[in-house]
Amino acid sequence: MVEELGKLLSPERVLSGEAVARAYDCDAYTVDRSKPTCVVLPLDTAEVAAVVRWCVAHSVPFTPRGAGTGLSGGAMPALGGVVISTKKLNKVLQIDIENRMLKAQAGIANKRISDAVAEFGLHFAPDPSSQTVSTLGGNIAENSGGPHTLKYGVTTQHILSVTMVDPLGEVLEIGSLVPGAPGYDLLGLIVGGEGTLGVVTEAWVKLTPVPAAVRTALASFRTIRDATECVAAIIASGVIPAALEMMDKGVLRAVTAAFKLDYPAEADALLLIEVDAKPVSERNAAIPRPPDTDSDPNAVSPKRPTPNETVEKELSHVIAICNAHHAISIDMAQNEAERQKLWVARKKAIGAMGRLAPSIVTHDGVIPRSRLPEMLDFVYAVAEKHKIGVANIFHAGDGNLHPCFYFDDRDPKQVEAVIEAGEEIIKRCISLGGSVSGEHGIGVEKSDLLTLMFTPDDLRMQAMCKQIFNDGMLCNPCKVLPNQKGCVEHKKRWRGVGW
Amino acid sequence: MKSLDELTSHCIRCGFCLESCPTFVETGEETESPRGRIYLVRSADEGKIAWEETRPHLDQCLGCRACETACPSGVEYGQILEIARDRLEREHPQRAKAALLDGLSHPGKLKLQLFLGKMLPGTKIPGLLSRMLSGEAPEADKPNPQPMYSWAELDESALPPVKGEVYLLEGCVMRVLFPGVHQATRRLLRRVGYTVRETEAGCCGSLHLHVGYLDKARSYAEKLAAAMPDDLPVIVDSAGCGSTMKEYGSLEPLALSLRSLEPLALSLKGENSGLKAQGSGLSAFSKRVFDITEFLLANGLVEELAKTNLTTKITYHDACHLAHSQGVRSQPRQLLEAIPGLQIVELQEADTCCGSAGIYNLIQPKMARRLLERKWRNIEATGADLVVLGNPGCHAWIAQAAREHKSAVRVVHTAELLESAFSGLPG
Repeated sequence: MVEELGKLLSPERVLSGEAVARAYDCDAYTVDRSKPTCVVLPLDTAEVAAVVRWCVAHSVPFTPRGAGTGLSGGAMPALGGVVISTKKLNKVLQIDIENRMLKAQAGIANKRISDAVAEFGLHFAPDPSSQTVSTLGGNIAENSGGPHTLKYGVTTQHILSVTMVDPLGEVLEIGSLVPGAPGYDLLGLIVGGEGTLGVVTEAWVKLTPVPAAVRTALASFRTIRDATECVAAIIASGVIPAALEMMDKGVLRAVTAAFKLDYPAEADALLLIEVDAKPVSERNAAIPRPPDTDSDPNAVSPKRPTPNETVEKELSHVIAICNAHHAISIDMAQNEAERQKLWVARKKAIGAMGRLAPSIVTHDGVIPRSRLPEMLDFVYAVAEKHKIGVANIFHAGDGNLHPCFYFDDRDPKQVEAVIEAGEEIIKRCISLGGSVSGEHGIGVEKSDLLTLMFTPDDLRMQAMCKQIFNDGMLCNPCKVLPNQKGCVEHKKRWRGVGW
Repeated sequence: MKSLDELTSHCIRCGFCLESCPTFVETGEETESPRGRIYLVRSADEGKIAWEETRPHLDQCLGCRACETACPSGVEYGQILEIARDRLEREHPQRAKAALLDGLSHPGKLKLQLFLGKMLPGTKIPGLLSRMLSGEAPEADKPNPQPMYSWAELDESALPPVKGEVYLLEGCVMRVLFPGVHQATRRLLRRVGYTVRETEAGCCGSLHLHVGYLDKARSYAEKLAAAMPDDLPVIVDSAGCGSTMKEYGSLEPLALSLRSLEPLALSLKGENSGLKAQGSGLSAFSKRVFDITEFLLANGLVEELAKTNLTTKITYHDACHLAHSQGVRSQPRQLLEAIPGLQIVELQEADTCCGSAGIYNLIQPKMARRLLERKWRNIEATGADLVVLGNPGCHAWIAQAAREHKSAVRVVHTAELLESAFSGLPG
């Protein structure tokens, strides 16, 4: 296999051996592992297609992989075979500032897209916490969200078209450069398809103006209930903050050790709140345009508030709600450096959990925001019952939980307890009218739980959708849909087995 | 010294280190990433893969520790790397590497080699030596010692009174190759009221520690600490050395709990309590170690610099062992910003390794070259006349790039630039 793939690409871009198999046997969901036979690093779409065709001809499973930061095992080669890494497909191909779009290869890190257009006052809006490392392709596969999803939408709202290699090795162009194009939403299937419908190699993405004014506040509360009720009240009031994030005491322990956040000692929960306003008339000052008559960006009409006035108004509204919910303190970021410090602490919080234990499993169930207080109580009760640690950090504004269990994966009993506790939490999310996953994907982790969320008809039609692209056997097997052929053995092997 | 088991258990595989790692960014291979290497070391430590499997990937690691800056969980990658390399060297020693270090760390031997090297043709280090070290063709030039500066003697009457004494690490490579840097450092120290108490102390053991000779490093550490008594501050103008000296505490012998050495450590514990005192001496010594820029900033050089003037355009390269290991980033910049007339252009990827990395450019010439060219492209884009930095490895390596690209850009140590503000930029 290695030799033949080496001829298709070049030998130094086909990796194999004991160390390689080990390094690629899981992603950031570390409790389920499976070794690939080899890893290939193609340089372009044609090479990806050649590898896929070879795999199909030889009935070898293949699994696309970006940075391997996924939290549901999506990039783990469940049935072995070939891992197709996109990490050498990492270039920006085209930038169209006038029309605010950019074309990049799938392996580029999310943040590098924004860096490439920062000088034009634009950015790529989806901002998963892993954005400094996670790839565009991975974000597309998982339909990633992030703190600013609340206002700006998840990845699918920012992808215009993709170039992909289908599971038989054909190159497809899906989507159009016109937002809201007619016809069936095939692109909507690909985004969030978790790499089971093919390997995305390039994409045109939308660029969004960087907000003209931003205010960021850190509010602390004595109880989780105060904080969660505050979140529900903010959303119910009709304000849409750019981000509304909650951290509980468990997370604060890790974050304080890592980033030295200041907050009152008696606080049990923090809310990170950001409000922003887009540039006036959605116009980016950095883009030169011919003068026109209907609006002059320099002369804002007295009726229309400036971005600064807009954010100040929203902020005072939000602060009033925080105070009504017994906030102990509300600290404003005084400058961009202070704001960045808060965001680094938030975005790297899950990564900082290694200070508490050797392994984590993070769920991302979604519930209606009004049920946050009771759901949080339930999460703590489940963790206590299973005697495992739990820390909560989440996109409160979306009702998107992130209970993060921390434990030692070298102890099989703890692994089992974590999996059971996770399932209990997801089941409760669904019974409260929520979802198994907000943004981390189903992967191998939650495929069995999909039956709780969707009707049999829905799942049957989802399986048919998959068949439009392939017969479901080789391209990222055992992910998303439950009860796939050949995956029973894989599940048996890892469930309850510690590594 | 902590155990590999304890050190590696803090990595939860979030992957936030990936894009900070120069070898991962260059190769895209997870075996060449911090997360991958930690996982491999943990697997070897747990007996799941053979130790020898980890070698090519640990060899390719620069030890730049940019991953430690990125890591939210505070994984001490540098220590993991040092212990793992030590383990590999014990089981499968690489004699050429050991001989190279021996030659570099003894100033007498280094001078002799430089003399002999001059008689060989070509600018690069000998091909035979390179092949023994790396199996690859050489990339690094033969080292060329810099001359001393011809600055006028300091005018004592214009200087502040002497406040105290400090030690200066003369070191091994620095002493032979960069005497001008030490000269500038001494003058700057005097400008803030300190004189240097002379010692015969030599190598700090940094190179040994970083490539996996813990015992050797420990013995250098103990010798150095013994040669610098009396609680005086120890000033270092080489980032790699300063980083090691600030972490001498991790070498303390009795805490050594590397699995294979546990029986040995236990047997020592029983019979020799004297070792313990020596061990804690290293920790105390570490607290006295300062990078030259930290010390000058804390002792008021900014006020002195405000009286100077230097009209030129510079950019600052963060040596890995200053930025990532010691967290020294703002101090050199604050000093440079204090010089009237100096135009400072920020360098893209300023804290990304240049590929020199101790002896890395000798044992991994190909990757070192890729990183050097990347660094050089970023330097050229600044349009600066000088690159300022704080480590001898980067100094020689980036200066080689300037020569190869026939560029007028000069490479100077931070101390040299600061002293030039007072005494004039030579040449």
